Amino acid sequence: METKDILQNLVSGIAIGSTYGLIGLGVVFLWQSIERINFANISSAMLSAYLFYTFYSEIGMGFFISFVLSVGIVALYGLGLRYLIHEPITKRGGGRLEFVVATLMICVLWLNVIIVFYGGLPKPFPPVFGKATDFVRFAGVSLPVVYFYIFLVVAILMAFLHFLLRKTLVGKSLRATAQNKEVAQLMGVNVNLTTSLAFMLSTTVVGIAGILLAPIYFVSLELGGGSIGIKGFSAAVMAGLIDPYGAVVGGILLGIIENFSTLFISSTYRDVISFLILVAVLIFKPKGIFVWSLHRD
Amino acid sequence: MRVVNWKKILLIIALALVVVYPFLDKNDYRLYLANRALIHSILASGLVFLTGFAGQISLGQAGFYAIGAYTSAYITTRLGMPIILGIVCGILLSLGAGLILSIPSFKLKAFFLSLVTIAFGQIVYVLILNLQSITGGPYGFFGIPPMKVGQYYFDNKGYYYTFLIILVLVILIIYRIKNSYLGRSMFAINDDVIAAEVCGINSKQSKIFAFALSASLAGLAGSLYAHLAGFLSPEPFTFFESSNFVAMAVVGGLRNILGGTIGGVILTFLPEFLRFRGWENYYLIVTSLTVVLVVVFMPNGLGNIIFKLFRGKTHSHAIHKEITTLRKEKEGGTK
Repeated sequence: METKDILQNLVSGIAIGSTYGLIGLGVVFLWQSIERINFANISSAMLSAYLFYTFYSEIGMGFFISFVLSVGIVALYGLGLRYLIHEPITKRGGGRLEFVVATLMICVLWLNVIIVFYGGLPKPFPPVFGKATDFVRFAGVSLPVVYFYIFLVVAILMAFLHFLLRKTLVGKSLRATAQNKEVAQLMGVNVNLTTSLAFMLSTTVVGIAGILLAPIYFVSLELGGGSIGIKGFSAAVMAGLIDPYGAVVGGILLGIIENFSTLFISSTYRDVISFLILVAVLIFKPKGIFVWSLHRD
Repeated sequence: MRVVNWKKILLIIALALVVVYPFLDKNDYRLYLANRALIHSILASGLVFLTGFAGQISLGQAGFYAIGAYTSAYITTRLGMPIILGIVCGILLSLGAGLILSIPSFKLKAFFLSLVTIAFGQIVYVLILNLQSITGGPYGFFGIPPMKVGQYYFDNKGYYYTFLIILVLVILIIYRIKNSYLGRSMFAINDDVIAAEVCGINSKQSKIFAFALSASLAGLAGSLYAHLAGFLSPEPFTFFESSNFVAMAVVGGLRNILGGTIGGVILTFLPEFLRFRGWENYYLIVTSLTVVLVVVFMPNGLGNIIFKLFRGKTHSHAIHKEITTLRKEKEGGTK
């Protein structure tokens, strides 16, 4: 074991982990606002990756336009989730379970839609974040360039979200609604608007995570099912499902743990270890592992 | 003049059709599907019990299904034991796993519990893929012996009647439990845990029992599937299969003792009916879309609609409606 290996695993763990964090963020935004978990959370990642692939590789639009278009469509999809799924279920007296089953089936539905229209085989992701063979080398460590793009995008996104949640009125009302819906409503917060915003934010961040993950996992069905979504849940659970910052930190922690368990134990049981972490956190620390997150302001 | 009770006659005709079905349909594939539907019904009945009666969610039911299937396959194929022993061991092992999984349910509420069960299902799936010496991994598990009585090896007809009898027994058992002290206490816990505990009901005990029963039914279904198919691969044990099972229970109707059967049969046959000529590619989309629509627009499930046609508005139906309105008020009122 050399310092080189440890450093390499640490950096890649942080990079992959921060995308798990974004997926967890999607869970957190929705939980804050309606106390439901969208089990089709990860589908947004797959949708945006395939949309980006369509716009960029098949139609040939520029990077920026494709990115904005695909993330924008996914944001609108979030709004659709609210008005086509959440509201009708609530109106008809359906409880949590109906929401669980409906979102699970939406997850399956999107997978089937993608299989029908794009086929089951993975598509190559266009080399917008550097080629797979591009490496950055320093101090004997070589890291794929894509990791640095991930850092960059996640940093910009986090700065934006921090600004949104802390400095703007919209963000403040979002946080107020998360703390207590009734009181927020009494204080003149437009709960209808914040709920819509929460749905859109939730799908948007997961959509961005999908585009970031595509160079690593390819534009494949892996992005819309499988274990990545559950890792996103793990990240959210580490934050007690309520703390956006905790979700990102939790995701990064998970990425690091995962990489080191590959290094020290075995790569086959990497996923088992991260699922066991999920179960352990839920059983022993159901309020999240970041105590600071609960006592903040 | 005596009034003819058409509803009763229809019911008898339907039951008779179920009994003679294997002799009416000469299509072997459809008969195989019917057998799958019966297996799914057994499993979904367990889920109806767990979710509808005891109020717990499990999204890892495919995990128990897999444990039952691979245990029975291993014991009969590799160890050469009789099939009945394999099935019993499959049930017992799933039961054990269910008991372990019931522990988190004491502490955790709905969504958190569902995350634990998802993790359980995924762990089982990864183990199937990687423990190749036991499960055959992605290459599959071959040569599982079919069931037989004396010298008669079961064909699809034989399986049909065996599974039908098992399903009827399962429903009878659930019916008996539903009307026992345990069943009533489960309904009480489902409505209000604190009030039930104040009345002296042991909520832990009934949660353990519900998990154990639904897990062993899933194990039973799995071991039956292993012998029906004769070959196991990891595909039927994914997370999506688990969500499919939950969908069966919900589509059938969660507070309905026949909900699991109705949902299991409908969701097994629906994809096949939707394979119209020229539209084959879209049947999977339409299937999942149908389930979404049913869940969103008929939260009480199709089973209740069928029952309503038969019984009209009954007393118990009115009570159930009242309970749901009360619960809705409660959910809306408290934070």
